[in-house]
Amino acid sequence: MLTINNRDKIEWQPGMTVSDVLNKMGYNYSLITVTVNGVLILEEDYDTYEVEDNAQISVFHLAHGG
Amino acid sequence: MAKKKTNKINILVDGKPITIVEDNFLLPDLLKNNIAIPTLCHHKDLTPNGSCRLCIVEIEERGRKRLVTSCNFPVRSEIKVETNSEVVKKYRQNLAEMYLGRWPNVEIIQKVARECGATDKDKYKSYLTEDSAHACILCGHCTRACNEFIQEDIIDFAGRGIKRHIAMPFENVDPHCVGCTSCAYVCPTGAIQVSDNRNHPVNAKLIQEHGMKVNAEMATLDPYQCRMREVGTANIVEVMNNYDLLPVKNFKYGTHEDTWRIDSNMMKKSYFTQGHPDQCWHGCSMACAKAVEDFELRTGPYKGHKVIVDGPEYETAAGSSNMGCFDMDFCVEYNFYCDTYGIDTISFATCMAFVMECFENGIIDKKDTDGLELNFGATTDTLEILHQMARGKGFGVEVGQGIKYLKNKWAEKHPEKADFVRDIGMEVKGLEFSEYVSKESLAQQAGYSLALKGPQHDEAWLIFMDMVNNQIPSFEDKAEALYYFPLFRTWFGLYGLCKIVWNDVVPADNAQKHPPQIAAKIPEHVENYWKFVEGMTGRKVDEKIMLDESAKVHNLQKIMGLMLGKNSFEDDIPPYRAVGPVTEEEYESRQERYDGQLKELGFDIDDKTTPEKMAILRKYRYEQYDKVQKAAYKRRGWNEKGIPKIERLKELGIDLPELVEIIEPLQ
Ligand code: SF4
Ligand code: SF4
Ligand code: FES
Repeated sequence: MLTINNRDKIEWQPGMTVSDVLNKMGYNYSLITVTVNGVLILEEDYDTYEVEDNAQISVFHLAHGG
Repeated sequence: MAKKKTNKINILVDGKPITIVEDNFLLPDLLKNNIAIPTLCHHKDLTPNGSCRLCIVEIEERGRKRLVTSCNFPVRSEIKVETNSEVVKKYRQNLAEMYLGRWPNVEIIQKVARECGATDKDKYKSYLTEDSAHACILCGHCTRACNEFIQEDIIDFAGRGIKRHIAMPFENVDPHCVGCTSCAYVCPTGAIQVSDNRNHPVNAKLIQEHGMKVNAEMATLDPYQCRMREVGTANIVEVMNNYDLLPVKNFKYGTHEDTWRIDSNMMKKSYFTQGHPDQCWHGCSMACAKAVEDFELRTGPYKGHKVIVDGPEYETAAGSSNMGCFDMDFCVEYNFYCDTYGIDTISFATCMAFVMECFENGIIDKKDTDGLELNFGATTDTLEILHQMARGKGFGVEVGQGIKYLKNKWAEKHPEKADFVRDIGMEVKGLEFSEYVSKESLAQQAGYSLALKGPQHDEAWLIFMDMVNNQIPSFEDKAEALYYFPLFRTWFGLYGLCKIVWNDVVPADNAQKHPPQIAAKIPEHVENYWKFVEGMTGRKVDEKIMLDESAKVHNLQKIMGLMLGKNSFEDDIPPYRAVGPVTEEEYESRQERYDGQLKELGFDIDDKTTPEKMAILRKYRYEQYDKVQKAAYKRRGWNEKGIPKIERLKELGIDLPELVEIIEPLQ
């Protein structure tokens, strides 16, 4: 089980990358910052960085628009 | 959105392994790895043009060696790179000597010559030699800055071969030059200099330095971030739809399968023809305004005319979905007529959405609307209402009075449905809500409803912080955000500055540098505003000065409202549609969410009907709202009823007798 933003839970699957997590959550926002267990993940690593089971993931959306 | 490549490639540089993202140019990664490479035409924020050839390196690809300019060489395979081989050194030294012969006194040339071991000033001395220390070295920074930073092509190379030089068209001063000073800023030799500062700022350089940072961010980051130059604020139509935040049918829902018909891709593909900077702010590099040309109107006094329409922006498109009109032609037409008649698109759309829901629920019928069928999605009849509003005839005149008026009138007419009418009329303080669904964000409900000017679109910033990021979980956190952000907003508004350069482009390392609570403020961009004020006036600003300055005005606005008999506690409470589901269909459309929340809160709902569950949710959500409202008041130095305390006015130095007189009886 993965916890997103201290609240939302999603099922973990072996080999799941940061991109998979974002897709699963439907997060297509353009100003996003991701940390996995407190470690900042660069956008260029989203497709390759694999998250472990029980990871705490924060997906920070920065306000824009209006 | 343009997506950056993420494939990694391992290369060997001078025998050492380096990992590089596919398609990245070689030079920046070499510099990042502390490998010294001489350059003249390279600039970190500009597209490389490969003209000086000093950054040359030797690469080996599939056993074959060749020389390439590293600044514009994209890495696509596992190459070996020699940055300092004999061939490379010789090549660079010779080149540097040629530069030195032509521009012997230019500092940056002297520096590069030293780096390349070029010492002989006279070897290439010729009639081309220029003695000036500020000679133009033809690096092309200026032409690229003009084009890439502010999307102009005022300044360019002219002439060929030895006659090549930098010029404006026909060697004249081009009146289209906006005087943004980008070209001067990037010029490494001082060949271009700013000679006047017409507004007489105290410190022009300070303003320039901060402005140029934004220019560079726009040129390098915007295509991957908000695409303001490409589509403007419309970029968030599809995003809001995806996060269930796009208002659909009077804020009933947050998403719709037909959103693609009015999203930014549709606008870009078939509508926008103009995206050039329109100088709404002289020299602005964001250029977020877009326009549709040759648009043939279907209705109204200009029917059949081809017109130019400024927009649509996010809120206008979201207004369409709110009226259930997923039709881009309609969106552009109502945009045009609202502009032409001087009507706000947001107020119009939100008000019409309310009228449509009332029509569908029998609160009004065709007798009231002079025969118009005002169901959701009624594009033609909606445009007719707009024309009636402008003509001052028909039902449109009623609609033009706004939701607050209609709500009271129709609630009186239908006492049995009065609660429903009040619940779905999306206004606070007489202003129609802007186009975001706030149901799942308590902070956003308060952001809208506590705003002194009403639920206007520039208060719509807390929604992601609260609802998606879960970063302001406690009432105190929300109250803090409800203190800082509206005051920041009020503050730069007072200086006449635009909001877009604050958060529609963000420094690449914003989130690396700051923890989330601070990152949300985008500290470097807030600083840009402070430096602008300091550069213009000479007065330094920091967070405390800013917030206090703004709080003065904010409290004055509040008290003026009280003087007019407005701004009471009740005026700060949103209609229930902004807080939770009003109708059964609305609840059931998001049943999993609402049931889940109720269970998590410990309510036993297993044998409850939808109306029963709705009642529990409603009670709970309004209680939560009440808490956040009071926490926000407290943080502002107001009492439980939302009245500024006299101490607070003293603290801010605005405890004038005529103000105290108003609030004293209310303490
Ligand atoms: S001041 Fe700005 S607009 Fe004018 S030439 Fe320089 S970069 Fe271009
Ligand atoms: S004017 Fe300055 S920036 Fe432009 S090409 Fe010459 S040296 Fe480079
Ligand atoms: S820096 Fe690469 S060619 Fe000038």
